Amino acid sequence: MKFKSTMTVACVFALLFSLGPPSSGLAAEPYHLGVNLAITGTGALYCKDGVDAIDMAVKEINAKGGFLGKHEIKVFTRDTHTKPDVAVREAKDLILREKVRTILGTYSSACAVAIKPIAQEYKVLHIAAISNSENITKVNFSPYTYQVVPNSYMQAKAVVLGVAELAKKKGWKNYVTIASDYEWGRSTQQNTVELLKQMAPELKLKKEFWPALGETQFTSYITAIMAQKPDFVIGSVASKDNVAWMNQAKAYGFFDKIPYPGSLISVSELILQAKTLTRGLIGLSRAPFFAHLDVPMMAEFVKNFQAAYGRYPSDWAVMEYDAVYALKQGIEKANSIDSDKVKDAMKGLSIDTCRGKLYFREIDNQLSCSSYIGVVADDPKYPFPIYHDLVEVKGPDSWRPEAEILADRQAEKK
Amino acid sequence: MDPALIFSQFLSGLSMGMMLFLIASGLSLIFGVMNILNFAHATLWLIGAYFCYMFWYVLQDFGFGLWLSILLAALTLAALGWLIEVVLIRRVYSRELPEQLLLTYALVLILGDLIKLTWGVDDKVIARPPLVAGPVFFFGVPFDSYFIFVIGIGVLVAIGLWWFLQKTKYGHIVRAAVYSREMVGALGIPVPRIYTGVFVLGIFIAGLAGAVQAPVGSITLGMDMAVIIQAFCVVVIGGFGSLLGTFVGAIIVGEVYAFSILFWPQGALVLIFVVTAFILIVRPWGLFGTPMRT
Repeated sequence: MKFKSTMTVACVFALLFSLGPPSSGLAAEPYHLGVNLAITGTGALYCKDGVDAIDMAVKEINAKGGFLGKHEIKVFTRDTHTKPDVAVREAKDLILREKVRTILGTYSSACAVAIKPIAQEYKVLHIAAISNSENITKVNFSPYTYQVVPNSYMQAKAVVLGVAELAKKKGWKNYVTIASDYEWGRSTQQNTVELLKQMAPELKLKKEFWPALGETQFTSYITAIMAQKPDFVIGSVASKDNVAWMNQAKAYGFFDKIPYPGSLISVSELILQAKTLTRGLIGLSRAPFFAHLDVPMMAEFVKNFQAAYGRYPSDWAVMEYDAVYALKQGIEKANSIDSDKVKDAMKGLSIDTCRGKLYFREIDNQLSCSSYIGVVADDPKYPFPIYHDLVEVKGPDSWRPEAEILADRQAEKK
Repeated sequence: MDPALIFSQFLSGLSMGMMLFLIASGLSLIFGVMNILNFAHATLWLIGAYFCYMFWYVLQDFGFGLWLSILLAALTLAALGWLIEVVLIRRVYSRELPEQLLLTYALVLILGDLIKLTWGVDDKVIARPPLVAGPVFFFGVPFDSYFIFVIGIGVLVAIGLWWFLQKTKYGHIVRAAVYSREMVGALGIPVPRIYTGVFVLGIFIAGLAGAVQAPVGSITLGMDMAVIIQAFCVVVIGGFGSLLGTFVGAIIVGEVYAFSILFWPQGALVLIFVVTAFILIVRPWGLFGTPMRT
């Protein structure tokens, strides 16, 4: 009898050992997070801040045990060089070799559009926080792709609302556009022109200028635009190209002669061109930290970012930081790190961000984030100019109506 | 259209042409004399821009800070060029073109990483001194005053190179070495030293070009890749190894670009490549090159 009970206990122990130790004692699987940004090349100016903000968010979450308090986050960063073919190669490498469950990226919309089907094919989440062409989520829709940056349509709508108002006041009749010749520049310019046609049909587009991505010398564009004598100019030029364009245009006295409302002047440009930027310009921004210092998450983020890196965070830092926390909240709702479950959990999810409480629109996974327009002016609180008379155009007031998205998707099927 | 505006566009094209001439002249000189196709030329140009930023950062409080920084950047890059020639380039003079290209392309990657390690990935911006920060007016039309300086430097370098190659004894030896390095060597002239001198001169001009470019926009990684293509277009149009050809080719590229932006902005870049392809087909040795080099 004693032998029998001893054997029974031994068998139970053997069975328990064969099943492995209790799950609470297991080191949970780490969460592999891919970052596919332009560390070098045209987009490096914006992406460095993004990478730093991601690192900060990851450290904060890992300090509490990782996602769900147990999945430590391991970051794998790749450089897209702002080239779609490189972005695709690196995305595949991140997925197949590093086994990432989510890719944060990219800088260039062309890169984002290129990696979207890869992420979908391998059922990996893709969160765009800098690249913002609306085509990333509007057409060829992927349920795995989310966007936490106001898209090109939303930004264009915000600009158009302001420009249409100004045109009426000042009696403007015609304009020209200058936009970088790639996916983002093209889609932003196209959206702006289309919206201006609807909201201010009396305005005539005289000419379009398309400098190549990476253009270093804009003199010929500046003189050609001045030769057109437009009432105003709409610009869609970003990152280092924007710095070159604005520096050179300023040296021509361009901004004193021709109004240039609503071009992208992010916090990066405000900081980098603190000494040279023309005061009084009406600029457009995607996530300026100073617009939301009343949100505790933003105030904390700015304080910590400054402590960690000794500088203020740009729009790109804010949005990449929000991207990591959007993922965290998606994982918490799914109570799983399985990308399929997280993708479903994020659908329509309301999340806390540095920019306040926002939500993902179900039809296109676009976050209901705002665009910001203001007048560049000095501020005694900062060593660089910020926006005064800041106007926040809310996401739901500026995004493309759902009916139009459905119509575009129908047209795409044909 | 207002003639003053046409003139302004011409000046824009000229300034772009001079910027390209500064980059391409060193490339063409090195190829013309040494038969080395230096793929890393634009990367060295970029390092020149970073050197300029480095010196300017220290000297920015002085009125002459930028001008001295430009000169120091060119000289420092020339010293780096000397090191590269002595350690690497002279070992591939007698090798085939693909091997030379491989070596200089490897240099592009190595130097690119060295830039990243030395200056980081942040963009660098040089604030121009007030003298060249605003516009000058021609017939009432504004033009960026800094580009007057660029045009001036371009013309000075062109005249200086012409004078050196045509009017000095050393220049005559360099030209002789283009046609027969054996004969020059047989006359007791140390050809390797001539080559080192030419390489250092070419890189000095690249450094000057990079430093002159630095205050135009921001200095950033990857700028070199966009520029090298246009520099190759210039030397293909003008003819590899021809100083006059490089000068004319640069002006052609600059003006074609400027006026196509004015009249047909969508096709600006395409037109440059169309011209380049046309020259390659009808006159592969370029407008002022010699068939011997094809």
